[in-house]
Amino acid sequence: MPAQIRDVMPAFELYQPTSVADTMGLLQRHGADAWIMAGGMDTFDWLKDRIRKPKVVVDLSAVAELKGIKEANGGLEIGSMTTLTELSHNAVVKERYGLLAEAAGLVASPQIRNQGTVGGNVSQDARCWYYRAGWPCYRAGGNICYADTPTSVNREHAIFDADRCVAVNPSDTAPALIALDAQMVINRNGSELILPAQEFFVGPGVDITNLTMLQPTDLLTAIRIPGTWAGKQFYFEKVRDRQVWDFPLVNIASAMNASGTTISEVRMVVNAVAARPYRLEAVETFLKGKPRNAQTADAAGEIAVQGALPLRHNAYKVPLVKALVKRAIRGAGEWTS
Amino acid sequence: MDFVNWALSPWGENVLVRISWDLFWASLVGGLLFLLAHGGYMLFSPHHKRESDEVDRMEAARPGLPARIPRHSFVARMFHWVMAVSMLALVFTSFLPVVGVKFAWVQWHWIAGILLTGSIIFHIIHATFFLDFWSIWVGPKDIPEAKAEILRDFGVETGGPKPGKYPLGNRLYHLAVMVAGLGAIGSGLLMMNRVRTPIFERNPYLMGDAAYGFTYVLHGLTGVGFVGLIIAHIYFALRPEKFWITKSMIFGTITRREYLEHHDPERWVASK
Amino acid sequence: MAEHKLIGKNYTTPDLVAKVTGKARYAEDWRAEGMLFAKLLLSPRPHARVVRIDASEALAMPGVHAILTADDMPAPPPPPAPPAAPPAPAAQGGARGGEQGAAAPNAGAPAASATGNTAQGRAQGAPPSGAPAAAPPAAAPAAGAAAGAAAGAGAAPAPPPKPPVAAEVALAKEPIYEGEPILAIAADSEEIAAAAIEKIHVEYEALPFVIDPLDTLDPNGPSGRVEGNVFVGNALETLKWTADDMAQVRQGKFPSNAKASETLVFGDVEKALAEADLVIERDHQQQTTSHQPLETRTAMAYWQNGKLYLHGSTQSVARTVASVAGWVGIKPEELVLISEFTGGGFGSKIPGAHSMAIPALLSKKLNGRPVMMRISREEETYIGRTRPGYQGWIKMGFKKDGRLTAMDMFIVEAAGPYRRQGDHATTANNTSLMYQVPNMRFRGISVATNTPPGTSQRAPGGLQASVMVEPMIDEAARKLGVDKIAIRMINSPEGQAQFGLVPPNAPPGRPRNKVTSCFVKECLTKGAEMFNWEERKKRSGQRRGSKVTGVAVATGSYTAGSIGVDGLCVIKPDGKLYIHQGIGNLGTHSVIDTARVIAEQVDMPWEKCEVIWGDTSKGVAWSSVQAGSQTTYAHTRANYATGQALKRTLQELAAAEMGGSPDDYDVGNERVFRKGNPGRAIPFAKAAELAIKRGGKFDGHELPKEINAMTRASATSIAGLGLMGVARDNLPRDGQTYSFQAAFIEVEVDVETGMYRIVDYLAVADVGTVMHPHSLGGQIHGGAVQGFGHVRSQKLVYDPHYGAALANRLHHNKPPTILDIAYEQPMRWAAVELPDPTNPVGAKGIGEPAIGAGGGALICALADAVGDGILRRTPVHPEQIMMSLAEAKPKYEVLSAFI
Repeated sequence: MPAQIRDVMPAFELYQPTSVADTMGLLQRHGADAWIMAGGMDTFDWLKDRIRKPKVVVDLSAVAELKGIKEANGGLEIGSMTTLTELSHNAVVKERYGLLAEAAGLVASPQIRNQGTVGGNVSQDARCWYYRAGWPCYRAGGNICYADTPTSVNREHAIFDADRCVAVNPSDTAPALIALDAQMVINRNGSELILPAQEFFVGPGVDITNLTMLQPTDLLTAIRIPGTWAGKQFYFEKVRDRQVWDFPLVNIASAMNASGTTISEVRMVVNAVAARPYRLEAVETFLKGKPRNAQTADAAGEIAVQGALPLRHNAYKVPLVKALVKRAIRGAGEWTS
Repeated sequence: MDFVNWALSPWGENVLVRISWDLFWASLVGGLLFLLAHGGYMLFSPHHKRESDEVDRMEAARPGLPARIPRHSFVARMFHWVMAVSMLALVFTSFLPVVGVKFAWVQWHWIAGILLTGSIIFHIIHATFFLDFWSIWVGPKDIPEAKAEILRDFGVETGGPKPGKYPLGNRLYHLAVMVAGLGAIGSGLLMMNRVRTPIFERNPYLMGDAAYGFTYVLHGLTGVGFVGLIIAHIYFALRPEKFWITKSMIFGTITRREYLEHHDPERWVASK
Repeated sequence: MAEHKLIGKNYTTPDLVAKVTGKARYAEDWRAEGMLFAKLLLSPRPHARVVRIDASEALAMPGVHAILTADDMPAPPPPPAPPAAPPAPAAQGGARGGEQGAAAPNAGAPAASATGNTAQGRAQGAPPSGAPAAAPPAAAPAAGAAAGAAAGAGAAPAPPPKPPVAAEVALAKEPIYEGEPILAIAADSEEIAAAAIEKIHVEYEALPFVIDPLDTLDPNGPSGRVEGNVFVGNALETLKWTADDMAQVRQGKFPSNAKASETLVFGDVEKALAEADLVIERDHQQQTTSHQPLETRTAMAYWQNGKLYLHGSTQSVARTVASVAGWVGIKPEELVLISEFTGGGFGSKIPGAHSMAIPALLSKKLNGRPVMMRISREEETYIGRTRPGYQGWIKMGFKKDGRLTAMDMFIVEAAGPYRRQGDHATTANNTSLMYQVPNMRFRGISVATNTPPGTSQRAPGGLQASVMVEPMIDEAARKLGVDKIAIRMINSPEGQAQFGLVPPNAPPGRPRNKVTSCFVKECLTKGAEMFNWEERKKRSGQRRGSKVTGVAVATGSYTAGSIGVDGLCVIKPDGKLYIHQGIGNLGTHSVIDTARVIAEQVDMPWEKCEVIWGDTSKGVAWSSVQAGSQTTYAHTRANYATGQALKRTLQELAAAEMGGSPDDYDVGNERVFRKGNPGRAIPFAKAAELAIKRGGKFDGHELPKEINAMTRASATSIAGLGLMGVARDNLPRDGQTYSFQAAFIEVEVDVETGMYRIVDYLAVADVGTVMHPHSLGGQIHGGAVQGFGHVRSQKLVYDPHYGAALANRLHHNKPPTILDIAYEQPMRWAAVELPDPTNPVGAKGIGEPAIGAGGGALICALADAVGDGILRRTPVHPEQIMMSLAEAKPKYEVLSAFI
C-alpha cells in the first residue's frame, strides 16, 4: 500500500483560454482528463490534497465573455465567472434581486468572495469532511458513508433525502437562484442546454458522485434570472458558527409575492440539509392564499420538516429549519396581522 | 479489463470496493453470445424426445395415468414467480444505473432483496417439508443421465436414462441459482447495514474494511452471475421445445404425453 | 523611576516596516545555493508499529536525494528521573535569586507553559556548560504531580517509580497519533519529494488507540500507550474507573467520586461546602484546540565548517539553541540559529520544534547541502501541538454575600500521547489565586490520547480556568442577588496575595506562594467606569425581536515574569549603542521593548540604538524562554542591570581617564560627564575608542563571573568592539509574578437561531508599568480574540472509529477571524499602570491573562443572555443555545470530546 501525502500541489498542464470556443475545444480535446477551474476556491483543495489529479487544468479566469451581469428578456443574465463580490455589490441585482445579492454577500469571507465566482459557488463539490479527507466513501466511488455510522461526527450533514451518502450542498447562492426560478445555461458539446436551477442539482439516490448534472466536458456559461420575482419580498438567512468564513449549518432563501397580508405565491428553499438545495414545495403550496401571520408560519414550519431524518449530531437542523421558515414568512419586520 | 476495484482505506490499506462493472458487461455479452450460439445450433439439431411410437406403447401400458399430470403445485409456482419478479427487480435496479439509466434505485433494490429473501426462506421450508427435497439435487448418480442428455443434445439417442421430475439441466440451473442466490442474499444482508433501512440499525462498521470489501465483491459476482443465468433461463423458457415446462410453471400441469415423452416414469412416478 | 524618556512611549519597532512591506524574511523565505526540499510521510494510523519501510522505488526516482527515518535520529537523552521526595515549596525556590525559568506557581501544581517546555528543552539538549542560570527550576511539576498521585491513590508504601516516558523524536517508529511523521524525503523540488512519498510502502502493525479520554478509563477500554493510559508525573500508569463510574458517564454525568491520579488540596473543602449558603455543581467540557500560528514550523538547514546553520521559526532564540542541538545530536556551540521573525507560536514553538531536526539531519546526510522543509497547514495541524481538552466537574460553595468559600474540581485532560501536559492542575492553581478560595480540592487525570501532542497554549490552564469558573461566579451572583463586579471585588486577590494547593499528605505549616503584585480590583473599578457598568448592566436580558442582550465582566490571570537572565550591549566608536538580545521575536515586541530599558539607563537617544536579535552568530545574551509571559518582566530586570553595568563602566572609564572616583561622574546627552561640571565630559563615541584601548573589563575582555556561558561566549565574540555593558539579573524578588485583566463585554444572541455577535468589548489590564502602549493594546486585543475563538468556534475533531483528524483545514478548524470581534465600535483597552514593586521599571508580562479574560467574558455574556446551566461545553455552537432553549436541557451529552 503506497503512502499518501496531502497539501502539496502536484504538477499539471495549465490552460488559460480567452474564449468559450477555445475552452470548449480544450474540453473536447482532453475530455475527462481536464478540470475546469473558476475561482479555484474548491479546485485548489482537491488538487493540493492530490485526491483529484487532473492532467489538465482549464482556468476560466481569462474568458471575458463569461464575466459580468447584463439585462436580458426582462431579467438578468449573469456570467458564470462573475465574482461573488460583484454579484453582491451590483446595483441592479441589489435593487431587483436583493435575495441573490444578500446570499452572495454571505458566502465565506470577503477574500473568498473577491476570488470566488457564482458559477463556482453553485458547481462546488460537497464539503463533507470524510469525503474531503479522500476517504473511499460512496461519493468518492466507494462502498460506505463514513459520516453516517454510530460514531460519526456529522453535525453538518443531511437531514433530508439522504441515500447512502449524507453530504449536503454547501452553496449559499444556489437556494437563492432556485427561489428566483433561475435557469442554468450550459454549453454541452458546443450547443446550449438550459436547465432550471432546481434541476441543475442532483441527489445521491440518482447520482451519488456528483452534486450537479454537469458532465465532465460541460461548461456552465451563464445564469439567467427571469423577471418573475423582480422586486418581490425576499428573505435570506444563513446560520453558521462564525460570522464569516463558514459554510451554512442551514440557510434559507425565500421569494414572496404578497398582496396586503395575504400570501399569493412563494418560493422557499433551504440548503445544507440535503445533497441538493431542498425546495420546500409543500410549504409553498400550503402558503398560497394564507394570511401572513404567526399561525401560518408555525404550520409552515411543521410542514417543512416532515420526513426529516436526523443523524447522531445534527438533530438541531430540524428545529432550525422550522425557525428559519417562520422567520422567512415573518420577514425582516414584525407580524403584519 | 479490471475484475475488481480497489481503494485506500482511511488507514492507507488496500481494500476491495466492488467488482469492476466490466464484469457486468462480460456477463451480459457472454449470456447473449451463448444464446446466439445455442439458438443457432438448435436450428439444426432439435433436442430428442422419445419417439411417438414408444410413447404410445408407454401410454398403453399405463392406463391409469390422468390426462394432465400435476408438475408444480400452486404454492411452488407462486414461489417461483415471486422469486422471478424480485430477481428481475434486483438485476434491473442494480444494473440500469450502470448502463446509464439514473434513478434512486437503492431502496427498490433492498426491498426486492427482502422479498427474495422471504420467498427463499419460504421455499426452503416448503421444499424441506412438503416436496420431494432430493428431487432437485444433483449428485454423482446423475452422471449417466448427464451423458445421455448430452448425447441427445447432439442428436444421438443412446437409450440412457431419461430425466426424473426435473431434467438435469433444470437441476443444474437450480444449483447455480441457489449458490448465487444465497451468496447474494448473505452479502446483501450485510450490505444493508451500510444503508438506511427500517430493518437494521445502520452500522457500516459491523465488519472491517477488508471483510466488507469481500462482501461487496461477492455480491457483485453473484449479481453479474445472475445476469447470465437470467438470460439463459428466459431463453430456455421461451424455446419452443422447452415451452411445455414454461407452461407447466404457469398452469401447474403437463399433458400425459409430455410426461412420457420427457421423463422416466420410473424415476418420477406421477401422482394422480 | 522618575520620568521615562522611552519607557511607556509609543514608537515604531525596527522590525515593523519589514513586516508590513513583506521584506521580513521568515524561515521559508531563505534560499541557498543547491537547496533541496523535504517532505514528510505521516502515519495514517493513530497508533501502530512500523514493521517495514520499502522506499526503494522512491529512492530510484530522478531528483530524489535522501531519506531520513527514525533510525537516523539521535537517541534523546533520558528524561530526568523523578525526585524521590516531594520538592521544597516553590515559594522558597522562587525567592532564590538564582532561579531561572518560568514562574513556578506551586510545587504541587504543574508549572505553566514555560516550565513544562523548559523542562522539555533541557531534557532534549544540555544547555551550555557552567551556566548557573540553567540550574533546574525548583518547581518540578512532574514530581508534584507524582506526589499528588501517590497521595490520591492512597498508597502507603510507595511502589518503585515507573520508568520515565521516552521523549518525543521528530520521526517515529511507533507512531502514537495519526499524522505523526514517519520519514522524510529530500528531493530537488517539493513536487518530486511528494511524488516520492507516494511510492513508499510502509507496513504497520496496528495498536489500540484512544481518542475520547473517558473511553480509556472504562475497565474494558483501550490504552493509548503500550505502557499505560494515564500520565503520572513523567511516567505512564494504568488507571481505570469502575463499571458504575462508566455507567454514569454513559448517562452524560461526570462521576465526581471516581478515582483520580492527582489530588491537590487547600483547607477543608467538604466542611466548607456543607456550610455554604449556595452550592452550584456542573459538568463541564472544553475542547482541544491547535495553536495555528500563521507561520508554520518551517525550517531550512545546511552545514558549513562543522557548524549547523538553521533557519527556523521559534518563540525563543537563546533558549532554542540547546533544545534544537539536542534534537540534532550536536553541542549547542555547533549550532547557528537564525530566527529573526516568527509568525506566531502561542506556546507551540517555545524552544523551537522537534521537526527542525529533520532538514538538519537530511542536510548532514547530504554533506551539508541545504535542505528546506516547508510545513504545510495540514502538517502544522498534526505536529503543531494542541491545548488539551477538558472533561470535568466542578462544585462551588458561596456565602450569602457572594464570598466563594469552597471549590471542588475534577478535570480529565486530553494530554495527547507524549507527556503529562498539566493544564488541569494549572487551572486549579490559577483558580486558587483568582478567587482566593479558602477551601479547595483538585482531582485530575492526565490521559494519554492518540491525538496530536499537547503543549502550552497561551495561558495553558488559565484560559480554561476563566471559561470554566467565571460563568459559575455569575450564576452565584444572579442567585444571590449580588452585582457581578461586586462579587468579583469580594473574591479577587489584592496586593501580595497568597495562593496554591498542596498534595494531601504534605506536612503542615508549609508556606504558600504569593504574588509580587496584584491590582485586579483596580482593573475592575477602572473598567466599570469606562464601560459605564451601572448603565450598561440594565441592558442585560433585554429582548428586541428574537435578539437578547447579554452583558458581562470576567477576569483572567497568568504568570508574568521570571528572573535570573542576562543582558549584553556595547557602545561602539560610531557612537551607537548596540543591544544584543537573546529573546525571540515572536511578534510581541518584547525583544525590542525591553532593549529600551538599557537606552533609558544611559540616556541614549533611541535613534542611536540598534537592537541585534534573532541570529546566534551575532552574539546574543542568555535569555528567558519566550513563554509564560515572562519576557517583559525578566528582561526589563536583566537590561536594567545591564544598563546600570554599562553606566558604571562609563563612569569608571571617565574616572580612569579624567581622575576622581566613578561616582563623581554621570551620564547623559550621549556623554559621560563630571557631576556639577558637564563640560568635563567624554562623548560615548570617544569612550568606546578609549575602552578598546584600555581593554579588560571596558571592552569585554574581562567579564563578570556570574553571567551565563552563552552570554560569555557572545560577549567574547564581540569583545574589543567598544565599551561593553554586560550583567546578570541579581535583583531581589519575593514571590511569583502574575498579571491580571478584567474584561467587559456586551453580546447580542439570536435565541431563535443561536447565532450571536459581540457588540462591545473593553479590557483593563494590570501589567505594572506600561512599556509600549501600542504593543500592549495588540496583546490585550489579540488575546481576547483568541479567547473568543476558543469559546465560539475553534476546535479539533477526530473520527472515533479511525482515530483520524477531520478538522485539519482552517475552515473546519475555525479559528476566530477579524470579523468575529466586536462590531459596534473598535475594541478598547486600558491599563491601571500601577508598577510591580519587584521590577526596577515596574513592568510585568502581558501576553496571557488577556485570553482568559476575553474567553471568560464572552461565555459569561452568553450565559447572561440565555440563562444559567445551558452552556456547559465549548465551543458554544449556535445549536447549543437554540436547542437548549427549545428543549430546556443542554444540547449534546456534555462529556463527549471532539464534536
